[in-house]
Amino acid sequence: MTIVRTRFAEAHPGLADDADPVTTEIIRQALNAAAEQMKQSLIRTAFSPIIYEALDFAVAFYDADMCMLAQAPTLPAFMGTLGFCVREAVEGVGGPGALSPGDVILYNDPYGTGSHPQDAAMIVPVFHRPETGDDLLVGYATIKAHWLDIGGKDPYCTDTVDVHQEGTIFPGVKLYDAGRLVSDIYRMIVANSRMPEMVIGDINAMVAGARTGGEALAAVVRRYGPDVFRRSVARMYAHGEALVRGWFERLPDGVYRADSVIDSDGVNGAPIPFGVEVTVAGSSVTVDLTGCPDQAGGPINCPLPSTVAAARIAVAFLAGAGEQPNEGHFRPLELVTRLGSLFHPVRPAPCFMYGVPSDHAIELIIRALAEAVPDVVPAASGGDINALVWWGNREATGEPWADGAPHPVGQGASRSADGASALMYISESATRFTPSEVWEARNPWRIERLALAEDSGGPGRHRGGLGLDLSFRVLEDQYLTAGLARTALEPWGLDGGLAGRPNRLTVEYPDGRTEDFSLKTRIFLPTGSVVHLRTGSGGGYGPPSERDPEAVRADVREGYISPEQARRHYPHAF
Amino acid sequence: MTTVIGVDVGGTFTDLVLHDAATGEIRIAKRPTTPAAPELGVLAAVDAAVPGELLARCRHFVHGTTVGLNALLERADARTVGLVTTAGFRDVLEIRRGDRDDPYDLFWTPPPPLVPRRLRVEAGERVAADGSVVRPLDPDSVRRAAEHFAAEGVDTVAVVLINSYANPEHELRTAELLREAGFTGPISLSHEVSGEYREYERTCTTVVDAFVRHRMGPYLRNLARELRDRGFTGELLVTRSGGGALTLAEAVARPFETILSGPVAGAAATARLAETLGLPAVVAADVGGTSFDTALIEEARLPLLFQGEVLGLPLQSPWVDVRSVGAGGGSIAYADFGGLLRVGPRSAGADPGPACYPGGGTEPTVTDAALHLGMIPAGRIAGGLDLSPGRAADALAPLAGPTGLAGTDAVAEGVIRIATAHMAQAVRGVTVERGVDPRGTAIVAFGGAGPLFGCLLADELDVDTVVIPPNAGNFSAVGLVQADIVRSAARTLVRPLDAEAPPVIDRMAGALFERLAQDGAVREVHLDLRHRGQEHTLTIPLRPGDDLTAIGARFSEAYHRAFGHRLPDPLEVVTVRATSRVVLDRSRPLVPAPPSAEATAETTHLWSFRERARVEAPVVPRAACTEPVEGPALVIEPTATTYLDAGFTAEAHPSGCLVIKRKDRR
Repeated sequence: MTIVRTRFAEAHPGLADDADPVTTEIIRQALNAAAEQMKQSLIRTAFSPIIYEALDFAVAFYDADMCMLAQAPTLPAFMGTLGFCVREAVEGVGGPGALSPGDVILYNDPYGTGSHPQDAAMIVPVFHRPETGDDLLVGYATIKAHWLDIGGKDPYCTDTVDVHQEGTIFPGVKLYDAGRLVSDIYRMIVANSRMPEMVIGDINAMVAGARTGGEALAAVVRRYGPDVFRRSVARMYAHGEALVRGWFERLPDGVYRADSVIDSDGVNGAPIPFGVEVTVAGSSVTVDLTGCPDQAGGPINCPLPSTVAAARIAVAFLAGAGEQPNEGHFRPLELVTRLGSLFHPVRPAPCFMYGVPSDHAIELIIRALAEAVPDVVPAASGGDINALVWWGNREATGEPWADGAPHPVGQGASRSADGASALMYISESATRFTPSEVWEARNPWRIERLALAEDSGGPGRHRGGLGLDLSFRVLEDQYLTAGLARTALEPWGLDGGLAGRPNRLTVEYPDGRTEDFSLKTRIFLPTGSVVHLRTGSGGGYGPPSERDPEAVRADVREGYISPEQARRHYPHAF
Repeated sequence: MTTVIGVDVGGTFTDLVLHDAATGEIRIAKRPTTPAAPELGVLAAVDAAVPGELLARCRHFVHGTTVGLNALLERADARTVGLVTTAGFRDVLEIRRGDRDDPYDLFWTPPPPLVPRRLRVEAGERVAADGSVVRPLDPDSVRRAAEHFAAEGVDTVAVVLINSYANPEHELRTAELLREAGFTGPISLSHEVSGEYREYERTCTTVVDAFVRHRMGPYLRNLARELRDRGFTGELLVTRSGGGALTLAEAVARPFETILSGPVAGAAATARLAETLGLPAVVAADVGGTSFDTALIEEARLPLLFQGEVLGLPLQSPWVDVRSVGAGGGSIAYADFGGLLRVGPRSAGADPGPACYPGGGTEPTVTDAALHLGMIPAGRIAGGLDLSPGRAADALAPLAGPTGLAGTDAVAEGVIRIATAHMAQAVRGVTVERGVDPRGTAIVAFGGAGPLFGCLLADELDVDTVVIPPNAGNFSAVGLVQADIVRSAARTLVRPLDAEAPPVIDRMAGALFERLAQDGAVREVHLDLRHRGQEHTLTIPLRPGDDLTAIGARFSEAYHRAFGHRLPDPLEVVTVRATSRVVLDRSRPLVPAPPSAEATAETTHLWSFRERARVEAPVVPRAACTEPVEGPALVIEPTATTYLDAGFTAEAHPSGCLVIKRKDRR
């Protein structure tokens, strides 16, 4: 049994000591602003709704040591995973010495990105050009974004049995070499996508965005000089580390544990129990996932970079003080995994639905700390992004089309408030879902219902947020892949609060037959089918008998709960 | 030339500017804003500065107001607005788009919806995206809604039906049915308010309209009556969030268009200044007490967006692209838990105010840092406040320990540098996103604290020219007396830009202009275009005689400028936008000629950011700047102080502006 400890220590001790705190703060702001610039450029030029509406991407800067300088607020699920990408991608093309200005590296190996081959990263090395001497490599501008299709057995897969079924892999190759497009690579991408036009459009957007970012990073280095830049960045990391350490220091030392169950691996139907152990010692925290099962036969294995991301998201949400995180925030964190397990699989284990275990782990890590810090740990949310991916050929023109989106869930209630209704799961917290009118203008659908689900929130002193009821009538034959997790597990309540409802997807066929799905690839939907998505709600907090009667009556008045449910759970209010 | 009054109601002060055509005189007045009844502050300013005979000679009274915004902020009337939606879509307003304003906040919760759930009622009906009727409107469902609204005391109704941008019949019929059922209050129909797709955004816009309408109509009519009672016989105009002004009738009919007009006036004044000085690209830099507002003005035109946001609510409405960041004179400096020096966005505001103010707070602010560094002479600010350098230093000193900075000077210098960096980031945002290199622009610095930061911003952004307009502290209000009368409308029309497109666009623009008819108006058409397959659009002006090639070339040029590449993909039209503009008098002089003044021999010790030391520097009254002034120096005037660092030279320009040139780059 091989146990792996993953931890990122200070790269250059002492470098931060004589950095000017004012310049540090100015550089920190400039880096965050430059990351935002890169994000806006990508959103406004992308071709795929998964990028421009769902914002399923991450943009970040890394320094020459491949430590994270800044990440724009996009997909937390990709938090910190880009560091692995940069390392592997640069290694793939021959190491830092093989890089030159104008290069763009393409990398999408799931074992380095942490996700599926559709999540492709572009890495632009950034050089500082001194007045005399050679160009100096000062960092990397990176974008990882979801391509609609890059081969694989289906555009979106929930039933693969090895990684090679999931898409074409580019293990770190130059798409641009010193500014010139490498047409061999380009043609391979085109040849391996079912949606080449959209993917090409997105590649252009990513290259333009990463180059914009690269120029912005170079401008910051130029303004302060590479030496001041390095020292200030070291101080910036020390600052991020101090913020997070300060938070964990306030927690009672101890070993905290939480357990849960994953629905299934998408191939074999059996439920998969797993647990997490969180150890707080002084200002450090260790997340131990060695207690999880061996890697699964189906695609719910979570490669190490995404396991790291899950732990980092939990830390950022709990202890990050709302700041945009950098490498320093994650130094107090150590991750312990077991090689060959669900959270540290080895090639060629399938991992297309890596988000199922990693999303689950985020909430479980947070829950484990409920005992230590009840004030900042809410009850469970719907707990999943409820990804649906659709495709087909338009009847009138035969043109291929595809679309896909995550969908919001109810949030868990907390010690101080009711849970919010219908927000994206925290791993995709900056993501938006698409307006029905945009969907209907683009896809052969009619949205029949987009509503808060009355009575869905877990009862409690504070009520869980409501889930969403969404019904799509399909107007042409098409296919759907369902990527739903937590369809069996009820969102837990805390401190006596009751559970919410789990996620559920039902297809109602034209002949009246209905069928439920959770992880299912390529569901054929004949014209006239209606797809009902009922997303999970939040669990309640505290015993329902302690709910303020006026809050119960207000819920009934506004229709968040029915009079029947109110009388059942809150008889004291009447 | 006509005589015009502009009155702008800000958060703290109500500013009045009057240009008297007969004498060329400009009058300025400032009175405290009276939030409970804003017209009182407006009338107080009028009574103070404008005698009856002068008011009687005024052709236009241009008003910038926050009445609508305050109505939204207070949400006091929430229970009176009802919403009719398509069956199945009752919760669009509450579901939003599923995102969080703060993606790293586990507990983030959206503010309560503007219309509570029980007042959102479904109508049985459905229109498809192509405008065809899928399910006819069920009249009984609307009648039931009317009964429910009556029982709940609803007095304003918003109607937002799915795909009404493609076919408004059901919304129109719903309004008729509500009337037939006896509803007499105002009704906002989404296709009239916005005409663009995206149901959440259109619902927000329509509900905001309904909300503000409730308050705005009575307020404006009351103000008009009071002005008439004082002898005013001209026209009352209200400024728009999208630039220009609306007539009273139009402002009452489309109140949401006036929701955020405050920062626009400063940008409009800057645009006029850019025209006067012949500057092709300028950055407006307005530093107030709590915020820094900036906009890029190219070719003297206001930068427009077609979606705005107020209090987290998206509005489908023309919007001048003024970015605001929380960095102003009152922004509070602190040391965070990790030992970094931070500035803002929290502000000491007017109460308690900076530590150096009489009765001010204890937390150090940007103003305290500026005072400590000698950038503001003690006791000299507008309003005759006596500033206390001692209290400023006492507030700043405690930050040295936790940040490791060497003493109070270093803290103060750091506060100013960080505040400057915040402002510079905002400037980079508005320029770089439009494909403009800030280094090629000139900075127009105004607002109470703007002239303090002109040189610092120039160094931070590598800009060589800074312009300080006359009356820099009141410059925003000057924008009011220069407004055009503007009406606009838009309609979503998703289709290829092919040979059949131009007649369709012409027809749609024609229909939009029918709604916008006004005498003597100039018509402008803009198209939102994108590459087929993209979602986000660029807005391109349509010129008379344009063919497809010309439109395509203009789009390609704009795309290249914004994003650095060109694409061969075919183009799609998404939205047609019509603007009708009545140009008011443009011959108005910008500013009064400055009275002459004697130079004094006064000097001060101020901090030079370039020398990183205190240096001796002259204090020059602005009116005495007949010869070029070499930095380091302070140029003082009643409403602002201009900080001139070493390496900069200031010179009076015939327009009344102070033009600062950077001699050597840092």
